[in-house]
Amino acid sequence: MKFNTNSNTYIIIYSVVMVVIVAVLLAVAALGLAPRQQENMLNEKKTQIVKALGEDPATVAYDSVISKAVILDASGAVVSEDVKEVFAALNDLKGSFAAGRFPLFVANTGVVVPLYGAGLWGPIWGYIALGTDMNTVKGIVLDHSGETPGLGAEITTPKHQAMYPGKTVYEGDAIVGVTLKKGGADKNNPHEVDAITGGTKTSDGVTAMISDCLNYYKPYFDAARAAATVEAESNTVNE
Amino acid sequence: MASKSLKNLTAPLSGNNPVIVQILGICSALAVTVQLKPAIVMGLSVMVVTAFSNLVMSLLRNGVPSRIRIIVQLVVIATLVILVDQVLKAFVYDVSKQLSVYVGLIITNCIVMGRVEAFALQNKPWDSFLDGIGNGLGYASILVIIAFFRELFGSGTLFGFRVIPESLYLAEGGFYSNCGLMLFPPMALIIVGCIIWAHRSFNKDLQEK
Repeated sequence: MKFNTNSNTYIIIYSVVMVVIVAVLLAVAALGLAPRQQENMLNEKKTQIVKALGEDPATVAYDSVISKAVILDASGAVVSEDVKEVFAALNDLKGSFAAGRFPLFVANTGVVVPLYGAGLWGPIWGYIALGTDMNTVKGIVLDHSGETPGLGAEITTPKHQAMYPGKTVYEGDAIVGVTLKKGGADKNNPHEVDAITGGTKTSDGVTAMISDCLNYYKPYFDAARAAATVEAESNTVNE
Repeated sequence: MASKSLKNLTAPLSGNNPVIVQILGICSALAVTVQLKPAIVMGLSVMVVTAFSNLVMSLLRNGVPSRIRIIVQLVVIATLVILVDQVLKAFVYDVSKQLSVYVGLIITNCIVMGRVEAFALQNKPWDSFLDGIGNGLGYASILVIIAFFRELFGSGTLFGFRVIPESLYLAEGGFYSNCGLMLFPPMALIIVGCIIWAHRSFNKDLQEK
């Protein structure tokens, strides 16, 4: 051994060289892989949006179903139509909602609303698609970061998500969303689906998330519904 | 020499298994074994990290100042874990999402640093590499066994496919229901205990007097 590996000088030089090498290595890896990772994340969002509309993402492309992506303000007015900005807003949905920026995806067959809420252990999120009447649920996609597997995490299963299509979110003029009912949904109630057995807290979280998030978009929905009514009336008059 | 190298690879699979003989890495064995798929990916990730951290530390072993060797080990292991995490995120995004924080927690897996400290610092790179692969495989095999029982009895599925028919369930008029306890970490500990029991009754030399 040429050096005294326990001398202070050696140790300091060794640590400095080690840290520099590791920093360079990690920086190169992070920068090199970043485009692929971002593409993966973007694709996943697009896939979920297509899924929420009830289409199969394997055969239906995002661009063919979504005609535009917008950001709304609290009054329902469009503030941005820049796709990049919309997806950037999705990355921090909680912050966007708090800042009064509400991303929305408009399809020919309806709209897709991003959801964000709290489960039992951590955040839950997803997308809910409404039909052109802004009332009937076309589909839902739910995801979570740490709900209990087999219990709360069951919200991600197709079996659970298949219960939502056909439910309605408006009760009169108010948005009640869809409630996950403990003990089983009342079949005659259009606003209820079965809760997850053993996942009551997560189910309550989903219920609150759907109603909270949809209410952010209420001005937009109301305007769209009013326009649809006027159009329907004018059509009757014309006939 | 060849057979001695090979022994580094095979010993950790049973006789010197990191989980059930050395009782290391129990924490993550509880966390990621609810389903088979994440358990397998986690096992493979740990194997990659143990193998390469052993290799790197064995190459560095003559130059590492012994006073800061633990810090050096930690830096090497953490670097490898971050690389694995980044690669998973870039190439198998859905799996990395499923493992979420547990990939990062490989850093804290006692097996990795245990093998570096106990083996790689005293042995040649090739032997150390094989030792890392062997310990990773030994860890992965136990994870797979635990995950098999937990997923089968906890969810009635294997790899996400239904094994126990829906028609047998109480909800569908049958008599069967899933064992909810299987989904919780304590059950993994009980299964580890059962595996150790079975393993020791076959390997009498491991039994304490």
